[in-house]
Amino acid sequence: MTSLRRRAAALLLPAFVLLVFAFLLAPIVFVVLSSFNAHNSMKLPLHGLSLRWYRQVLGDSSVRDAFVNSGKVALATAAIVAVVGTGAALSLSSRRTSRRLKPLAGLVVAPAAMPGIFVGSALIVLFTQFQVTLSLATVIVGHVVYALPYFYVVASARVSQFDTALEETAQDLGANAWARLRRVVLPIITPTLLAAAVIVGALSWDEFQITYFTIGQDSTLPMLIWSKARLTIDPSINALASLTMLTSLVAIGATYRVIERSLR
Amino acid sequence: VLATVTLPEPRPAGAGRRRRAGPAGLLLFLPALIVVTLFFLVPLVLLLVRSFMTSGDYGQVSWTPTLASYAAVLKSAVYRRTALTSLEFGAATAVLCMLITYPVAYYIVFRMRRFQSLAMLLISVSLFSGYIVKIYSWRAMLGTQGLFNGTLLDLGLIHKPLPFLLFSKTAVFVTLTNLSLPFTLLIITGAMQNLSPALLENARDLGASTFRVFTRVIVPVTSRSAVYAFFYIYVIVAGDYVTPQLVGGTTAALIGVPISNQFVQLGNQPQGAAICFCMLVVFGLSYLVIRRFERFRGI
Repeated sequence: MTSLRRRAAALLLPAFVLLVFAFLLAPIVFVVLSSFNAHNSMKLPLHGLSLRWYRQVLGDSSVRDAFVNSGKVALATAAIVAVVGTGAALSLSSRRTSRRLKPLAGLVVAPAAMPGIFVGSALIVLFTQFQVTLSLATVIVGHVVYALPYFYVVASARVSQFDTALEETAQDLGANAWARLRRVVLPIITPTLLAAAVIVGALSWDEFQITYFTIGQDSTLPMLIWSKARLTIDPSINALASLTMLTSLVAIGATYRVIERSLR
Repeated sequence: VLATVTLPEPRPAGAGRRRRAGPAGLLLFLPALIVVTLFFLVPLVLLLVRSFMTSGDYGQVSWTPTLASYAAVLKSAVYRRTALTSLEFGAATAVLCMLITYPVAYYIVFRMRRFQSLAMLLISVSLFSGYIVKIYSWRAMLGTQGLFNGTLLDLGLIHKPLPFLLFSKTAVFVTLTNLSLPFTLLIITGAMQNLSPALLENARDLGASTFRVFTRVIVPVTSRSAVYAFFYIYVIVAGDYVTPQLVGGTTAALIGVPISNQFVQLGNQPQGAAICFCMLVVFGLSYLVIRRFERFRGI
């Protein structure tokens, strides 16, 4: 009896963990499954499989525009954040950095400690103050502020583990600061920077809270899902949401594969 | 005895060069400084200034300083109630996430062998599957013709759709918990992975049960990360304005909804700005309270 009870207790934690993962993944599984539903409903089990919602979504020019816009914004954000964030990580996190500069790191990560609504509100005030027309450029500005902390945290963790002896050896061999950076430091930390840049792209691809404030006439994929979801119950949103989600997951997955292989 | 012996500080190798790394380092920091100043600090200052400006009838603002916006926020029972609801949702979601996260993270880090990397992968998948996508999915699952109601109707278990599934406080709470869990799971598993296994073994060798190891060693050692995770969830949930609109209907108005309306639709920027700064003050005070748990020594 007691052994049975003990065995039941031992199963309690794994069962709970399984339940939590089911809860975590439920919305994702639901959207992907429903996107293949032949029937015009949200119910499971599916009434036959079909690609009709994908055909409908891909034939929609507003979806294609949003897709291109999201892609432009994500690439621009990733590129800008990678350059700006790498500089910040190199200057603040190296063991050679003077201690007095370390508090500046708090400044770089501060936007992440704030809900998007504050960043969005502050930016819209800036843009109205200086009469900047809202466009994809203003969206990119918001995304850069939002994603920089995440890039910085990943990049600075890598830089702070960097073996300074390598850099000092290069210095002793006569390499100046620029040569040391380009020939020694960057080649070693590039895989991490690349991974962080892809994460930034994915964050930008999914960003809604700030975009809602800073976007003008254009649309991005999250904005399109929002406006469709608010107005209608339309199974084609499942296909749109699945495409949005799978694009960023595949991009992240592929990068990790490439990096893993390059490190081997 | 050893402490009384003073040795001359050895001069670290390369100390002279280290000083020279300064100006070049600052040059690399310059782009980040410009970005953060121009697009974060200056906008926040402008937002603060705006909260003291006078709003006209048609969305225009004038430079006459006034406290009218703050007075309107503090006097309004609706704003007070909405703000309080947001803080309740933030705190409740953060508490629930921590209660779920600790046992799950413990299991992933210390009990799982083969599936540990799969578990971490699935958490990341959940994290990167998209904020709006997940909220939309909960809306679709909980709706009157959605997954739960539709399936229950088909099975004949219910005859009318259950109205409380969508557009309820529960729906908002479930969705916000679902959005927040991957963050707390990643932060706390990360903190637990840094724990030295020797520490746990020592505790066990000294006769501590699994439960006592958990409450007296694992929880205190990870309390710093727990405080960050808790505060992060508290703040992002209290500031969420999308979830209440998509799955809450009119039942769970969180403070983000009036803020976003003031900026995006109504165009009364001083009013919106004043709500923002009231919330920021509350968040700051909350942080001072929550931080006390950083030195948590176990139950």
